[in-house]
Amino acid sequence: MTGTTAPPAESATRPVAASAAHRAGALALRIASALGKRLAMLLVLLAVVFAAIELLPGDAASATSERGEGAAGIAARRHLLGLDRPVWERFWDWITALPTGDLGTSARGQQVTDLLAAPLPNTILLGTTAFVLTVIAALALGIWSAARPRGIVDRVVDLTSTAAFALPEFVVSIGLLLVLSLWTGWLPAATVTGGDGAPASWTMLVMPVLALTVPQTGWNTRIVRAALADQAATPHVEAAHLDGLPRRRVLLRHALPGAWPAIATGIATSTGMLLGGTVVVETLFNYPGIGTVLAGAVADRDTPVIAAVVACAAALITVVLLLADLVRARTLGARS
Amino acid sequence: MTAAAVLDQRPARRSWPRILLPVVPAVLLVLTAVLGPALAARPVDKPVTAPYAEAGADAVLGGDQLGRDVLSRLLNGGSALIGSALIVSLAVTALATLLGCYAVLSPRLGRLVERTADTAILLPPVLGIMLLALAWPGGGRPAITLAAIVLGTPYALRIVAGAAAPLATAGFIEAAVASGEGTTHLALREILPNLRAVVLAVFGLRFVDAVYVISMAGFLQLGPQPPEADWALMIRENGPGILLNPWAVVAPGLAIGLLAISVNLAANALAPATARRSALR
Repeated sequence: MTGTTAPPAESATRPVAASAAHRAGALALRIASALGKRLAMLLVLLAVVFAAIELLPGDAASATSERGEGAAGIAARRHLLGLDRPVWERFWDWITALPTGDLGTSARGQQVTDLLAAPLPNTILLGTTAFVLTVIAALALGIWSAARPRGIVDRVVDLTSTAAFALPEFVVSIGLLLVLSLWTGWLPAATVTGGDGAPASWTMLVMPVLALTVPQTGWNTRIVRAALADQAATPHVEAAHLDGLPRRRVLLRHALPGAWPAIATGIATSTGMLLGGTVVVETLFNYPGIGTVLAGAVADRDTPVIAAVVACAAALITVVLLLADLVRARTLGARS
Repeated sequence: MTAAAVLDQRPARRSWPRILLPVVPAVLLVLTAVLGPALAARPVDKPVTAPYAEAGADAVLGGDQLGRDVLSRLLNGGSALIGSALIVSLAVTALATLLGCYAVLSPRLGRLVERTADTAILLPPVLGIMLLALAWPGGGRPAITLAAIVLGTPYALRIVAGAAAPLATAGFIEAAVASGEGTTHLALREILPNLRAVVLAVFGLRFVDAVYVISMAGFLQLGPQPPEADWALMIRENGPGILLNPWAVVAPGLAIGLLAISVNLAANALAPATARRSALR
């Protein structure tokens, strides 16, 4: 993403050949340390989640008990699910099985991996489309409004993005349903699935994707705009401006490269919000994804399923944060 | 920083109308929601018309899935949401401000704050609330409130600590250290008074976030349980009848949307631009 446009402020003045290897080494070191740090944090989070489930009352065996089932029955199922073993042993088993793709057993005795296999592609389709749209829209709006600070576009974008990021996804969904489905009849109100379990038509994706994109675009537009404003004040951008270079060129070639780390971090942060929003939007539009499975698991009080989804979400967010680390390492590496 | 301030600063003194204008809608809306129960004409738990009845003379916004009056439920459904959002944002801001003032005085504590916030990012709020609501059966609204406080504090703490960090090395703090002042005096008497703008910005952002998280939990039926009147719960319950009486879904949706937007705009107008910017990170 950063690649082609290195800030021109420090183009030459450095013994190139000697420092190239040195710089590559420093970059590798920085990436390795970021990787170690992020993985350690992922482990800590998983431990906290596991401990929280352990410490609070109620477990999978009692949650799925039938009415009138005796204590002996619950104890038997607790044994069947392996819940009577020591905590640390179960945590070790869970955490070592995760990387192999074994997400554990649900309270009803199914493999969680099997439960999630069918809806996963649908959620990936929904989440990725919304993510890509968010990035494009936020960059476009942020850059457009930064082109003329305090101009009419800047003010309108500022106001609407502030309003948009406060809106919960289900409120946006209702607005979309009302306009695009009930009033105009352009789009179907609920998702109908074909024989393969996927949405029957792409038109069913439009509203869920928009409902996810609108609030996140609001948030990220503000981040892009703020990062560009910070860059506009740096000496090399001011110098380019005073040299009389065209506004657009200064913005894209001089200000934007330095703004990437802040933008990347902002986008990485909204991955989590996007994942959370997916749960709600899928429930609302009856979309066959992980969110629908989760909502069912909540109704069934099926803790292992939720813990597994939390682990997957945390791992995904870790990967995105690592990519943001990489962007920051590249930008700062080019500087120092 | 100085150059940034010069280039992108709003006028130093903003006129009262420009500050008050965005605040008025938020205040009016919150007042309506708080006084709502007194204004409601019909009982919230008794059917007064047909299920999903269209808006008419006997029910201005029609009936919900059990034929209860939508308008009366709407007037009753906001105060609890606003109340818990207020509790969450006050608690989170207080906790984060207090901890943040101490954290910047010790590099090790400061690093711990950073790490905690970075770890908390890995757990999307909705999933965190689901976990807690499950592990605490029947916790209802208190469980959601607690979860929102726990999940929100790391972010707010990082913002406060980030804003306080430059202060920790400022001359007046070094002077206070040199004259032998204790940590508590440094944190509460020297650093805290200089953070007013950031604290205000954090409070505004946290309130908006609390409305978001709590209404999301309500929609997922994790917090308030039927037959309670709650905006988010109304949306979920009346969803199937959106074709018959759209108002049963649209009215509470509008209410939550207007609340979120007006409070966010009010917070935006009240907090100084620089503090608001540092709160965005």
